[in-house]
Amino acid sequence: MAKRQVDLLQGTLDLLVLKSLALGPLHGLAVSNRIEQITKGTFKVKPGSLFPSLHRMEEAGWLQSSWGESENNRRAKFYRLTAAGRRQLDAETQDWQRISLAITTALKAT
Amino acid sequence: MDQEFSEEIQAYLDMLTEAKLRQGLSPQEARRNALVELGGVEQVEERVREIRMGRFIETVWRDVRTGVRALVHSPVFTVVTVLSLALGIGANTAIFSVVNGLLLRPLPYPESEQLVDVWHTPPQQSFPGLDRFSVSPANYLDWKAQSTAFEQIAVYTPTGLSLSTSNDPLPLIGAVVSADFFSVLRSNAILGRTFTPDEERPGRDQVVVIGHGLWQRAFGANSNIIGQTVTLNSRSFTVVGIMPAGFEFPREAELWVPLAWDDNERQVRSDHNYLVIARLKQNVSLQQAKAEMNTISSRLEQQYPEENTGWGAVVIPLREDLVGDIRTALLVLFCAVGFVLLIACANVANLMLARGANRRKEIAVRIALGAGRARLVRQLLTESVLLAVTGGLLGLLLAAWGSKMLVQLGSLPNSGEIGIDTWALGFTLLVSFGAGIIIGIVPALQFTRTSVSETLKQGSGRTGGSPIKQHTRKALVISEVALSLVLLIGAGLMIRSFWKLQNVNPGFDTGNALTMSIVLTPIRYAEPHQRLAFVDRAIEQIHAVPGVVSVGTTTKIPLTGGGSTQPFSIEGRPTGSIAEQPMAQTRYISPDYFRAIGIPLRQGRFFSDHDRDNSVPVVIISEAMARRFWPGENPIGKRLTPTFHIEQGAREIVGVVGDVKATGLDADASAMMYLPYRQAALPFISFVVRTSSNPESLVQPVSKAIYSIDKEQALTNVQTMDQVLRKSLSGQRFNMTLLLNFAGVALMLAAVGVYGVMNYTVTLRRRELGIRMALGAEKMDVLRLVLGQGLTLTLIGVGAGLISAYALTRLMASLLYGVTATDYLTFGSVSAVLIAVGLAASYIPARRATKVNPTIALRAE
Repeated sequence: MAKRQVDLLQGTLDLLVLKSLALGPLHGLAVSNRIEQITKGTFKVKPGSLFPSLHRMEEAGWLQSSWGESENNRRAKFYRLTAAGRRQLDAETQDWQRISLAITTALKAT
Repeated sequence: MDQEFSEEIQAYLDMLTEAKLRQGLSPQEARRNALVELGGVEQVEERVREIRMGRFIETVWRDVRTGVRALVHSPVFTVVTVLSLALGIGANTAIFSVVNGLLLRPLPYPESEQLVDVWHTPPQQSFPGLDRFSVSPANYLDWKAQSTAFEQIAVYTPTGLSLSTSNDPLPLIGAVVSADFFSVLRSNAILGRTFTPDEERPGRDQVVVIGHGLWQRAFGANSNIIGQTVTLNSRSFTVVGIMPAGFEFPREAELWVPLAWDDNERQVRSDHNYLVIARLKQNVSLQQAKAEMNTISSRLEQQYPEENTGWGAVVIPLREDLVGDIRTALLVLFCAVGFVLLIACANVANLMLARGANRRKEIAVRIALGAGRARLVRQLLTESVLLAVTGGLLGLLLAAWGSKMLVQLGSLPNSGEIGIDTWALGFTLLVSFGAGIIIGIVPALQFTRTSVSETLKQGSGRTGGSPIKQHTRKALVISEVALSLVLLIGAGLMIRSFWKLQNVNPGFDTGNALTMSIVLTPIRYAEPHQRLAFVDRAIEQIHAVPGVVSVGTTTKIPLTGGGSTQPFSIEGRPTGSIAEQPMAQTRYISPDYFRAIGIPLRQGRFFSDHDRDNSVPVVIISEAMARRFWPGENPIGKRLTPTFHIEQGAREIVGVVGDVKATGLDADASAMMYLPYRQAALPFISFVVRTSSNPESLVQPVSKAIYSIDKEQALTNVQTMDQVLRKSLSGQRFNMTLLLNFAGVALMLAAVGVYGVMNYTVTLRRRELGIRMALGAEKMDVLRLVLGQGLTLTLIGVGAGLISAYALTRLMASLLYGVTATDYLTFGSVSAVLIAVGLAASYIPARRATKVNPTIALRAE
């Protein structure tokens, strides 16, 4: 049971990270802040799950990373969506919408 | 990657801290909060690392699975490839295990790189070509006293020892060693002790240290043996120690007794009988030691000009000395197997290319679907590495068996050290990966370069291989031909030398003769008349054995290595110091020796029973000696004095006999003098028994006859003359057999290579051939066309091979006898063989080409 929950959360996290990068490259902390911002504070992503997610998706070819300067002139690693990442975001968004619709419908049913 | 991630996480932490600072927290609080939020740098790093590794392994695993599937799909290709690679890699591993055991691995003595042998260098006018010589007691003692380069220096001499048992005595190889011999080698007894300095004194020296193998074999590994006595050469010795397993120095020695020189022996300067081993001091180089020994030698030359003029010294690392001549042979063989593997790789690469023709569509589809080129190359390489590693594992089995064969075939020294160990395993793995990449990279790069649309557009029937690929295939075949030519020429040269050696006349009759040796110990045979009595009775007893035609004795059987040499002076000619006197090999023989061994008389007479200690001292010389010292003169009646028998005065030359190859078939016949054993009875006796039938059947009765006189003296080297001859050629036979085998495999692989590429060419040119035939070309024209192409490939390969062989074979010059390394006959005939094989290999595809039916070939489009 616990495993399924983690899986689900992981999938969700990946989707949120992809979404947060949809507008442009961000470094780790900015991704975390963006997620907090776009979910209106519902999710606060800790580095312990953020970095594994970023690296996993980079390995999968959805993200690309490079070193750059942060807004405060600090060296930071920026992540950017690849073409494959963009396709993945679309696919996952559709999936999520189907699932969430189905679950919402299911929960409303009497 | 770890480093980079650490930086990344550090940057994150800094930025988070800054953000907290902006929220109004104090620097310490901000830092602490940030760290808490991070939740442990280590854990985060660990998880990221896991993800990265996991991905990598998963991709490799997926490639491996795809590869296995692809290979299982084409079983014939897979089996052929794996087998040829197994052959190539296995041969390499086998040779490597020998090279490693003999040349690379440290000797089984602590800090063995500091161990050196110290030899005399003899005066060149007396010993032309000899670069090292054993040492005399007095010179050794001076070296020991005057040298400072060595931490320790010891002296020893190998010796045969007879261990008395309840049955026949056991012949053993042992060594007489000075007390510090064991500490030079830094080896100690596992049970009991080694020798103490006072055991170097005559009278105290009846103690023995026993080797591990002998202890187990003859004494049942009983530890109570320490303190007990055993009988060696009729003398009783107390066992004081057992050496650990693997301690076997000098070669094959199984027991050691102390070297005890009395005061007279310590003065002897011209009797060279001992070997010297030393351990260099930590900070002393080999060069320094050599320089010091040179200084000492020239001092000794001035001090003792009579005995030491011309005698130098040389310091040689122990390993170099032990391995000796094998080194060149092993390196040549290593090159040869390397070539075999390269040829096998070229063949497999060609097979992969041919197979790739069928897979091009699959690959093109995958490229079209978005697979990256690097990813595809990786996939294809995984496949070829998979093939090579499977071949390598199979080759390992082959090598385990092969290295045993090699040790046996070559009777190699230090054989306990040779086998498949971690090093050989690592080598195999490395070679397998290397081979996998070599055979995979060319095809992989080519397939992925193919134009996608072109390939997809093509129907499956039309196989228009791109011109580049044909070039690659041809280049591969040409190099195969070239490499195998080099191997074939190497093998050809070895065969020619071997053939020449086998046809060398040894100077005596090698058929139907039995030989055996015995050393008469001073305990029972101190007096010459005792030795003479033994020899006379032994000859009598052996004569009585049915089947024996004649019996003779000498002091050294020809071709069994070494033999004693001594200076002599010729009456009526100026006599210089000993060091300036000419030298001749010397043998002490019974009257019937020449008849028994079959050495022909050229002039004068043989010895007779009348040549005794109270008759005129006589000598018989060899033709080479007669030619060298009495050119154009009749030596019969001339007189000479062998220096070791100076007290008997000048000897009259009564006969001249044919030359024999005393030290080896490849050596020049040396000056040789024979003395009658009745005038100089030495304790070293070798019997030559001429038999009327197979000499092997007489081993038992003849041994029995000798043991009936004395059952405490063990017979050694009991072998037929034919075995002696074979043994003396074993090194050359070993090299020749191996090279021949490698060359054979290479030739086969090259033939397969030529066949494969020509066959493929015919397939590609079917249409063109069809058109030609439709336009009226005869079958002969087509045959000639295809054969011509095959011949061109072969000729280019042969040309390249000849050039490489010309450069490479001189490396093996020292292994050859009677042929030069660039022997044109070998170069020519081997090239002819290879060209013939190339033509034969192209003939089958050419025949197929003539069967092309123009209508079908044209319609197939």
